[in-house]
Amino acid sequence: MIRKLLIANRGEIAVRIIRACREMGIASVAVYSEADRDSLHTQLADEAICIGPASSTDSYLNMERIIAATEACHADAIHPGFGFLSENSRFAMLCERCNINFIGPSSEVISRMGNKSQARNTMEDAGVPVVPGSKEPIYDWETGKALADEIGYPVIIKAVSGGGGKGMREVFKPEDFEQQFLTAQTESVRGFNDDAMYVEKFITRPRHVEFQILADQFGNVIHLGERDCSVQRKHQKMVEESPCAAISPELRAKMGETAVRAAKAAGYTSAGTIEFLLDTDNSFYFMEMNTRIQVEHPVTEMVTGIDLIQQQIRIASGLPLDMTQEDVRLKGHAIECRINAENPAKHFMPCPGTVTNVHFPGGNGVRVDSAVYNGYKIPPFYDSMILKLIVHAEDRTSAINKMRSALGELVLQGVTTNLDFQYELLNNPAFSSGNFDTHFIETYYPDL
Amino acid sequence: MLRDMFKKTPRWAASSAQELVPSPEIPTGMWRKCNKCSAPIYTDDVINNQYICPKCGGYFRVHARRRVEITADENSFEEWDDSLCGKNPLNFPGYEEKLSRMHAKTNLEEAVITGKARIDGYETVLGIMDARFLMGSMGQAVGEKITRAFERATKEKLPVILFCCSGGARMQEGIVSLMQMAKTSAAIKKHSEAGLLYVTVLTDPTTGGVTASFAMLGDVILAEPGALIGFAGPRVIEQTIGQKLPDGFQRAEFLQEHGFVDKVVPRKEMRSTLAAILALHAGTAPHKGSETEEAKEREAILELAEEEIRMQGRREAYSDLSSAKKAKNLSPWERVQISRKSSRPTGLDYIEGLFVDFIEFHGDRFYKDDKAIVGGIAWFGGRPVTVIAQQKGRSTKDNIFRNFGMPSPDGYRKALRLMKQAEKFGRPIICFVDTPGAFCGMEAEERGQGEAIARNLLEMSALKVPVLSIVIGEGGSGGALAMAVGNEVWMLENSIYSILSPEGFASILWKDSKRANEAAKVMRITAAELKELGIIDRIISEAEEAGKETLPDICDEMRKQILKFMKRYTAMSGEELAEQRYMRFRNM
Repeated sequence: MIRKLLIANRGEIAVRIIRACREMGIASVAVYSEADRDSLHTQLADEAICIGPASSTDSYLNMERIIAATEACHADAIHPGFGFLSENSRFAMLCERCNINFIGPSSEVISRMGNKSQARNTMEDAGVPVVPGSKEPIYDWETGKALADEIGYPVIIKAVSGGGGKGMREVFKPEDFEQQFLTAQTESVRGFNDDAMYVEKFITRPRHVEFQILADQFGNVIHLGERDCSVQRKHQKMVEESPCAAISPELRAKMGETAVRAAKAAGYTSAGTIEFLLDTDNSFYFMEMNTRIQVEHPVTEMVTGIDLIQQQIRIASGLPLDMTQEDVRLKGHAIECRINAENPAKHFMPCPGTVTNVHFPGGNGVRVDSAVYNGYKIPPFYDSMILKLIVHAEDRTSAINKMRSALGELVLQGVTTNLDFQYELLNNPAFSSGNFDTHFIETYYPDL
Repeated sequence: MLRDMFKKTPRWAASSAQELVPSPEIPTGMWRKCNKCSAPIYTDDVINNQYICPKCGGYFRVHARRRVEITADENSFEEWDDSLCGKNPLNFPGYEEKLSRMHAKTNLEEAVITGKARIDGYETVLGIMDARFLMGSMGQAVGEKITRAFERATKEKLPVILFCCSGGARMQEGIVSLMQMAKTSAAIKKHSEAGLLYVTVLTDPTTGGVTASFAMLGDVILAEPGALIGFAGPRVIEQTIGQKLPDGFQRAEFLQEHGFVDKVVPRKEMRSTLAAILALHAGTAPHKGSETEEAKEREAILELAEEEIRMQGRREAYSDLSSAKKAKNLSPWERVQISRKSSRPTGLDYIEGLFVDFIEFHGDRFYKDDKAIVGGIAWFGGRPVTVIAQQKGRSTKDNIFRNFGMPSPDGYRKALRLMKQAEKFGRPIICFVDTPGAFCGMEAEERGQGEAIARNLLEMSALKVPVLSIVIGEGGSGGALAMAVGNEVWMLENSIYSILSPEGFASILWKDSKRANEAAKVMRITAAELKELGIIDRIISEAEEAGKETLPDICDEMRKQILKFMKRYTAMSGEELAEQRYMRFRNM
């Protein structure tokens, strides 16, 4: 069993991991930047080591310093949390070389799943459905059109080097293909000096549904149900819930089995997430695999009663899973809202500052994961997420009601947050109905 | 605010766990410290990055064997004299033990390895010094190995590439070491007289007796960025003169600026640069498809051009006539002004438009690299050529850098050095003339502007390779002539060539520089007039005034004509070429 764990992260996730250590009787070591001297994770851990100046590159992203700190404090293992070095295969590889237990999959798996085309091929080989489309870049519209006709419309044309919607065109009718392809390609050539394009089936109203999996070092893989993360703004998740309102037990079983197959194909160990796009006709496609713990992991913990961080530590210590798929029962409904220090009126611009007065809601089925306390100064150098509010209730409606109540009770003074926006969102009838997709925010809040 | 308020974790996990948990340990050598930026860097990264710090871009020294790997084609290196090792000529106490310790540490017999290798398919003799072995110092064995390499290269008619890295002569071998400088230099002379190529690559550090012998004797001298290169070491100089040396003193870039290094080449481009230089000296186009195709294409153009000219000789006469006619439309003064326009293509524009794979070589090997003259080697019509151009700038800033196209003596000496190099390797020379005149300033006089121009006139007259000079803008006086002693001299239609600027002429003759307009008329300085006078041989017509848009057309015309020139003059012997050039000016 791991005896001393170094947490290579900050903020609420570092606190979350330290809490798991405290419960398991594992000594914890926090690393912190000069800007985080007074942060909660620094204070809560048994030991804390300063690893450099405020800038992430010099501190939380600095592999040499983190590894040197691990050696200096004789920690057995590193938990990378999410973000920062959590999906850095090179960091995992360095840990392997230095005899440090990296809590997560092997560096090889991280690098394989981090490469989009390699991940896609691995999944296709394992019989996991992927969005139908071109495997190789396409350079002329005739080839693209032939493929589009084969896949069926609508299709989406994407620039290989694209980003930010540039070089991207949706085509709904075959007769529009040529013109749209050429326009997208011209945009790509102008914008990225690259004429390589992809053609893919366009899923008009997808839901973002992801499956939590756990895999030990003995080849046992189980899934812990799904999370619906369709409420997104510019690919930033805002509200997550489990279970997904659109999934029947049969579909859950099918998707869960697929997720387990995907994790097995990847040779995965530790906690991980398989992301799917779910179409309105219940067909689903592999998007990507996240080889780390995720921000929204608490909703899964709430409905399954399983502590994912503790499971990660157990798996990394070489213990077999202490449960089977049959033992996993989803109970009730959980919702998570991310509270960020940002201003929704100003394009969600980050608003760091000092938290002058804070009150957390409580009561049965209310959970707050946060690193905020009275007088805490939010440093401007890192992510703006400061708190996660999670509720758990019998069903979706009561969970929404509980979340409204909890959001209404939450007090955060001194900094601007998206709290009021989240409150408004929870009162949106479309959200309450459960019938929405990833276009939810842009449909109902087009001005944001 | 929450400091020391939380209870620590009770350690039951630690107390209960009796199993042996491996403790973390950073393997020795996994990281090393960059000696430039002091950052820790992952050793594998450094090795995979050709020993360049991935953080600051600083260069680590490369071991000889590793250098072979990153330079030569795979498994192509055949080592020579690999068992030759140093003796102890002075019976220096403890020297033998030191040598055997070095041998054990580096697995090298001596501070240099030599042999034969291929770079991009081109066969060459390759010598590489290794700083780990007594600072790469040169004793008898190093001198012997290098000398033998040159002797064998001379016999086998192979070029030599030497990577220098040395503190200088080896102290323990005293005067015997000093003699190696003369020995190696003499072998290089014989190799050079056989018309063979020698390229040195100066790496950090190249100092002392190595700098003062084989390192500085390359036909082409390349250097790695930031390498320390000098005769006396910086510490010795500081102690002697009692002054602190400025930053960058004796670094590769400093030496390029001062005319002793042809080109500072980043490590990652070294192999391709060496391959390109070898190709240009082997005379066969590189194996890359594009170039050979380009050569073929040019061959085709040549055939085409010839045919066209044979069939329509009259049209050509007409074209000259028509430009002469057009000359009447523009006054000489107007042409003076056109020739000086900043929108006019410069030497480098023509180099880019006409030549393939141009490699610029800097410096006069005496004092400086003059920015007003650029020169180097390139491919033209499938043939290596030497190209030298007087270079003006476009913007004010650029013009200050280029000294407004007014060459210093160092520029003429660089041009002459490159011409002599072309002569050694039998390459035709093409010069682009575009200068208001040779630079008129104190430093220019101090370093002998007159001497430099005169030397060029003297040496150019006897060059044993074809020389073509093309006036593309201003042909200002002696400063222009120093690059225009050619077998043929051509002019662009709107260029001028004169004894003096019209302003200067008016000022001397009429004491009034404002009468330049009038002067331009009587001086007979336009292309058409000079053709009539027999001063020049050909006019490249400018149907539209030379500029960015018309450059491709002008280049097409020039290319055809230059191909014709090549065909005619490369058929002549060296003596015939010199004689033709002699007679050309003898009759003026």
